[in-house]
Amino acid sequence: MSRLIADGLTKEFGDTVALEDVSFEIPDGEFVVVLGVSGSGKSTLLRCLNGLTEPTSGAVRLDGESVTEPREDVAMIFQQHNIIDNMSAFSNALTGALHRSRYVESVLQLHASEEKYRALDALDTVGLLEEAQQKARRMSGGQQQRVGIARALVQRPNVLLADEPVASLDPGSAQQVMRYLRTAASDRDLTALISLHQVNLARKFGQRFIGLRDGRKVFDGYREEFTMDVIDEIYGDVDTEGMFARTDGDGGADKGRTRPSSDRSATGERTPAVGASEGADP
Amino acid sequence: MSDEHRTDRGGWPERVVDQYDRIRAARRRRAVGVVMLVGVVGFLFVQALSAVGMFGEEFNLSFFAESLRDFFPLTLYFGVIPFLDVAQYLAFISERQLLFDPDVGRLLLTDPVAFFVDELGVFSVFGQAGITLAMGLAGTILGFPLALLFGILGSERVTPFPLNFVFRGTMSAIRSIPALVWALILIPLAGLGPAAATLAIAIDTIGNLGRLFTDELEEISDGPIEAMETTGANRPQTITFGMLSQVTTPYIAWTLYIFEINVRIAVSLGVIGAGGLGQILDVQQGLFQFTNAMATLLCIFLLIITVELFSQRTRARLRADEEPMGLRELIVGLPRRLVESLSK
Repeated sequence: MSRLIADGLTKEFGDTVALEDVSFEIPDGEFVVVLGVSGSGKSTLLRCLNGLTEPTSGAVRLDGESVTEPREDVAMIFQQHNIIDNMSAFSNALTGALHRSRYVESVLQLHASEEKYRALDALDTVGLLEEAQQKARRMSGGQQQRVGIARALVQRPNVLLADEPVASLDPGSAQQVMRYLRTAASDRDLTALISLHQVNLARKFGQRFIGLRDGRKVFDGYREEFTMDVIDEIYGDVDTEGMFARTDGDGGADKGRTRPSSDRSATGERTPAVGASEGADP
Repeated sequence: MSDEHRTDRGGWPERVVDQYDRIRAARRRRAVGVVMLVGVVGFLFVQALSAVGMFGEEFNLSFFAESLRDFFPLTLYFGVIPFLDVAQYLAFISERQLLFDPDVGRLLLTDPVAFFVDELGVFSVFGQAGITLAMGLAGTILGFPLALLFGILGSERVTPFPLNFVFRGTMSAIRSIPALVWALILIPLAGLGPAAATLAIAIDTIGNLGRLFTDELEEISDGPIEAMETTGANRPQTITFGMLSQVTTPYIAWTLYIFEINVRIAVSLGVIGAGGLGQILDVQQGLFQFTNAMATLLCIFLLIITVELFSQRTRARLRADEEPMGLRELIVGLPRRLVESLSK
């Protein structure tokens, strides 16, 4: 439930410019997908947005407050999920509540039962309630990523950031994880910013799209403006054909939140192939 | 000239030949480096051998063989077959209670409460071997908390750069003094005996185990640490959940490894008079009772092997990413697993 503003973000690592003057404003509760090839600056952008990386110039503001370090109302989901292998899914979800508990309390897991219910509820949201006691390292990649989402939800954030959450998953799990992300964000009214490199997933789940290329913002718009030409501009010479591989999911996560104009793009302009536009209306 | 050279090589494209030449040159440089390294190490080896007098020494093999005969007494079995007189070993082992203390053992059968509570007999029932084992175990447990504290605080990831050297330095200082010397230093405190030896082992553990803990912390990945930071966790929480949770398994494994070493140290501390098997060994050597000394060595061998087997099996199970075996399966399935591992 927050308004997130990036104002002229620039990040240089030595001579390389990872981000160049990126600005945008995300109103409350929007589900935004950041697109771009590897090295286009997606990760740097997300890390700047939650204060893990300090921008060379420019600023991030959340409801008018500037973000300079990680804060509990901004949750982050990582590509490598970064959950704790040795702990159960439940314990991992509970780490989202660390900022609300004292040290000894958190180490001995003496949280108030309300927190424990919240952790279980978050696991339920991502479909892992039954697996709550399973050790994270025994779970599949998709399950681990969903534990990461549960942890982020337990944090009770206003903003949900996800850095390529499905990049290392197979297509089936990727869709499932995206669906859970979408549901969680809409149920809890979160402002969400997800970076992806698969165009089909982006089209299927995104509400608004920001395109990055070589660290510059080359596109910022909603579903109806997100055409094949735009994709060409974001991806340049990269052949995007393979990215539209037909997917088998039903795309149900869009229900109720899909903008009425969602398949207007199918009318005149060039649109990405089957899997994507089909998924948009279940 | 080089152009002619290239055409000689079967008309491969110039780019391929160039790359081939570069790889060949690189390999040649590496070979020269390896030869030089071997030369330097060999040179140092010769110097070291000379420094320890290995060249000037006269080795007396026949005297050595003769003295070994005392270690291995022979007897005639059935009046004809000469073989090792095992009975002499067994007699000494039971007489001096190297492996088993019958008084305490009897107690276990007659009065278990007295065995566990009054006598605290879990270790003393194993006689001298039990004392040595107890020194190693108690020393490891005593040293563990401080090793953990110093090991964690010594890591640069936990304590900022110059400050962590306070803890690293302390551990280095402890390590620079051998456990044997620590035992001697502690004599005025506790006298020369198993108690002083245990404290010496505990101090030694702080230095060695702490160092392993610090090193292990350098290996962890940043991901979970960052993840904990983004949840808004405070510093101690980030350290515990982001860092320590990544190293619990290796920490347990290293502690078991140090326990193994500590039992060995307990033997050597016995040799300077701190009790247990080591002391028996030293006394029998001093009395030129080499058969008895050999009997003691066999007990030491048995003790060390048992401890190592236990520790290595536990570590292997910790590292293996599978459900741990139940106790029943552990005991009942032992013969089958032995056969399986032998047939590999």
